[in-house]
Amino acid sequence: MIRLSNVSKTYPPKTHALRHVSLHIKPGEFVSVVGQSGSGKTTLAKLLFAEERATKGKIVIGDWDISNIAQSQVPVLRRQIGVVFQDFKLLPRKTVYENVAFALQVAGEKKKRIEEIVPQVLKIVGLHDKTDRYPRQLSGGEQQRVSIARALVHRPKILVADEPTGNLDTIHAHEIIQLLKKINEYGTTVVLVTHDRDIVNALKKRVISIADGKVISDIERGKYVLS
Amino acid sequence: MSLVLTTLRAIKFTFQNIFRNFWLSFITMTIFLLTLITINAVLFVNVVAEEVLESVEEKVEVTIYFNTEASEDIVKAAQGYLRGFAQVRDVQFVSAEEALETFRERHADDDTVLASLDEIDDNPFGNALVISAQSTEDFEFILEAIETPEFSPYIKEKDFTDYEQIIDRIDQVSSQVRFGGLALAAVFGLIALMIVFNTIRVAIYVHRDEIGIMKLVGANDWFVRAPFLLEAIIYSVVATGLMIVLMFLFLQLSDGWLLTYFGESHNGVREYFEQNALMVFGLQFLGLAFLSLLTTAFAMRRYLRV
Repeated sequence: MIRLSNVSKTYPPKTHALRHVSLHIKPGEFVSVVGQSGSGKTTLAKLLFAEERATKGKIVIGDWDISNIAQSQVPVLRRQIGVVFQDFKLLPRKTVYENVAFALQVAGEKKKRIEEIVPQVLKIVGLHDKTDRYPRQLSGGEQQRVSIARALVHRPKILVADEPTGNLDTIHAHEIIQLLKKINEYGTTVVLVTHDRDIVNALKKRVISIADGKVISDIERGKYVLS
Repeated sequence: MSLVLTTLRAIKFTFQNIFRNFWLSFITMTIFLLTLITINAVLFVNVVAEEVLESVEEKVEVTIYFNTEASEDIVKAAQGYLRGFAQVRDVQFVSAEEALETFRERHADDDTVLASLDEIDDNPFGNALVISAQSTEDFEFILEAIETPEFSPYIKEKDFTDYEQIIDRIDQVSSQVRFGGLALAAVFGLIALMIVFNTIRVAIYVHRDEIGIMKLVGANDWFVRAPFLLEAIIYSVVATGLMIVLMFLFLQLSDGWLLTYFGESHNGVREYFEQNALMVFGLQFLGLAFLSLLTTAFAMRRYLRV
């Protein structure tokens, strides 16, 4: 599903965010990528939805080599991968419904279909009764659920969540993780980037640890091993 | 992706943006309008100045006196000849009798002058032509044009020399006023350009995060850009529309004042704006829309690189 071969990312002049990273994530897996701040885990996430480009190496998603993806193809890639961000990245002047619908509108989806899918997805994340609220009228946990709904609306095969619980308290964080697990159970491959020890340990899923831009461990049913 | 659907969505998002960011939209449009007001104030001053100059120029007349041998026919032929020139606004024929009459009236209190006239017994005046030109600069050409073998022998005097200094002075003042007007327009034009440029940059800066988010959610550049560009056009349309209303209200109000100055037949200021409305405001709209579109596209460029 996701294959990185010898991927390096260097920011000029000499900041090595990732060094020779190779890994393979299989369809339907739930993988946690852990590491401390500055370890390179967010860079890894950004490479997957082409917010950053690899300096060296090869990234293949499905059958698509996105290592040197053309700028015009980036929107197409992003419509196939759901992304959840730490800061939610919701459009402040659009309602919950509009924020989710927007992801379909950019892809030219018909109105009828949008009216069909959006309520379904909002129901999955438990926000079907708050469709007309604006992001500022929601709690952090609710905002993150809108962000997840937006990521799911394309029925993506891959969901990348970059520190989705970073801005949330423990209870809301737990809710979000449960939601991600549920999504994974429906068959979506989930890549969870986090530095939250408790969450990773509770998940009991595959854990890839990154330090100083390198993969230092990759364990099935792993734990947070970094100090 | 269907173009119609995308266009309809762009239009919908445009109006959503305008109304959901009401104050920002209001301020942006007000600044557009203030910019146009500045430009039109300069234009108004220029048109008034031009009218003042023209009304002064119109009042300047040059008289060609013919000698007594020139028959009415010859002088009328000269009148016809001069009327053929584009530079000539009007040529009035003044007969010898009329000239004598005017002279007598003017010197009605001066017994000596009247006595001398009676002494001569004969009419010392010849026929004359009173010429007004389109512009004072044209007199030199007109007075040279009349010097043909046909008319030259009959011309006694051209009083251009008396007027030359006045005309020169008027020409000087008018070219200074026109240059000043242009310079003022250029300065204010530049200020307007900077204001519009910066207003839009600020408006786009406010939306920078949203632009990035739209890109991250899978929108292509045009899907993000289109509503902002449409917004710029709408602001330009509304600002120009309001400007037209304000301008004609102002012209209505200033009518009385302008009439007092120019007299009934000379209110060319309002006429200028009425006759050239399409061009004047059309160009202002095009200029504003072009500038704001260009600035919007330019200001968005860096935030689209996500």
